[in-house]
Amino acid sequence: MIELAPLWLTLKLALSTTLILFIIAVPLANWLTGDKGVFKVVVQTIVSMPLVLPPTVIGFYLLLAFSPANWFGHWLEQWFNIRLVFSFSGLLIASVIYSFPFMVHPIQSGLSSLSPSLKEASYSLGKTKWQTLSKVLLPNIKPSLLTGIVLTFAHTVGEFGVVLMIGGNVPNKTRTASIAIYDEVDALHYHSANIYAGILLALSFAILLLLYSFNRKMQQARFY
Amino acid sequence: MNKILLALLLAIQTLSLWAQPKITVAVAANMQYTIQELITEYNKTDKTKIEVVLGASGKLTQQIQNGAPFDIFISADKEFPQKLAENKLTLEAPKVYAQGLLVLWSARPNIQPTKDLKLLLGSNIKNIAIANPKTAPYGHAAEAILKKYGLYDKVSPKLVTGESISQTSQFIVTQNADIGFTAKSIVISKETQGKGKWVELNAQDYPPIEQSAALLKHAKQNNEAAAKKFYTFLYSAKAKTIYNKFGYIVK
Repeated sequence: MIELAPLWLTLKLALSTTLILFIIAVPLANWLTGDKGVFKVVVQTIVSMPLVLPPTVIGFYLLLAFSPANWFGHWLEQWFNIRLVFSFSGLLIASVIYSFPFMVHPIQSGLSSLSPSLKEASYSLGKTKWQTLSKVLLPNIKPSLLTGIVLTFAHTVGEFGVVLMIGGNVPNKTRTASIAIYDEVDALHYHSANIYAGILLALSFAILLLLYSFNRKMQQARFY
Repeated sequence: MNKILLALLLAIQTLSLWAQPKITVAVAANMQYTIQELITEYNKTDKTKIEVVLGASGKLTQQIQNGAPFDIFISADKEFPQKLAENKLTLEAPKVYAQGLLVLWSARPNIQPTKDLKLLLGSNIKNIAIANPKTAPYGHAAEAILKKYGLYDKVSPKLVTGESISQTSQFIVTQNADIGFTAKSIVISKETQGKGKWVELNAQDYPPIEQSAALLKHAKQNNEAAAKKFYTFLYSAKAKTIYNKFGYIVK
């Protein structure tokens, strides 16, 4: 029998990751857009790392970090009585790290494609940095914002390797749809695997179709 | 250009012809250390290169059904090889080579595993590692013993599932899981010495883990004689001494 819990869990994880990353990524991308100092280049590199790292590298380090045998995990357990491994919060932290560049990059490239005169005009009219960002810059890069949101969401839905390493396949906590598929295939339950896979396939198609249609409309609006 | 390519292909072909015979063995994860010793012993008299693919028995069965190029399957139970035999993927009926035992293991300094499984209800135990009962026979046995004592429903929120007995053991060794069920052959191997404490569970409390092996159909296209010879070795007196050493029961 097919359960809906893994799908809801995936949705919850993807939405939470997207929300958290949006809040972090907008100011970070804005800061990264300015002149490049050495420090900024280093930060930029760190932000992009998850693009090239195998998920197993992130999974391995998180597994070590979360373990109560090591100082970080021990400290969390001693002071807050929480253990991140095999938990939804642990998965959320992993997803935020893993999807970081997928949110930051589109927003950053959107911001840097804007003409500097936009910012300068806003400043000379007496707007603060924050007002300029939220009222002038961001409304002008809606397609980039949407791309960041959609890619982050979709990338989290497709996350597998990290979840396999630190998840522990716990129903309602870490058994996401991609893990459920893996599990059902191993158990020779091809029927259930087919249903999960079909739903994910349709979902990915719909998300990307929506994104491209919207961005196309925005571009047309800009030219006419 | 084409000539160079042809020469290269020929060279690769000749090299692979010269190479010593090779067979591939799919091995249940609980045998991960035992198989190394078996191969070392076997290679003393026969230099056939034996490649090992480790995984949960159920996963390996799934792979074999989908055409994985394995010559021998060394399972952790009787059912999975039987399933392959029913699907006509084996050359002869699978045979039991050893019986495995289930242990409870913890690497946390303040947790002492006991035969009395009620300790799992304690608040100091936040999570319990077991192998996936659907694909790993040792996970299935762990589930059975928990059910027998009426503890399964009570501890199920604490259960974390490893995809094979190796991942389950890894969760225990890294102390990410406070305690967990694994195979005796893993806790008594050199690799895990000094890592935590373990206790052997009563073998009457779970269905016997009768581990069987099967000679697979793929061997016919590969190197049947070499595969058959290693398969026979798995049931020899020398192999039995090794199973014994790793805590298996041999009849």
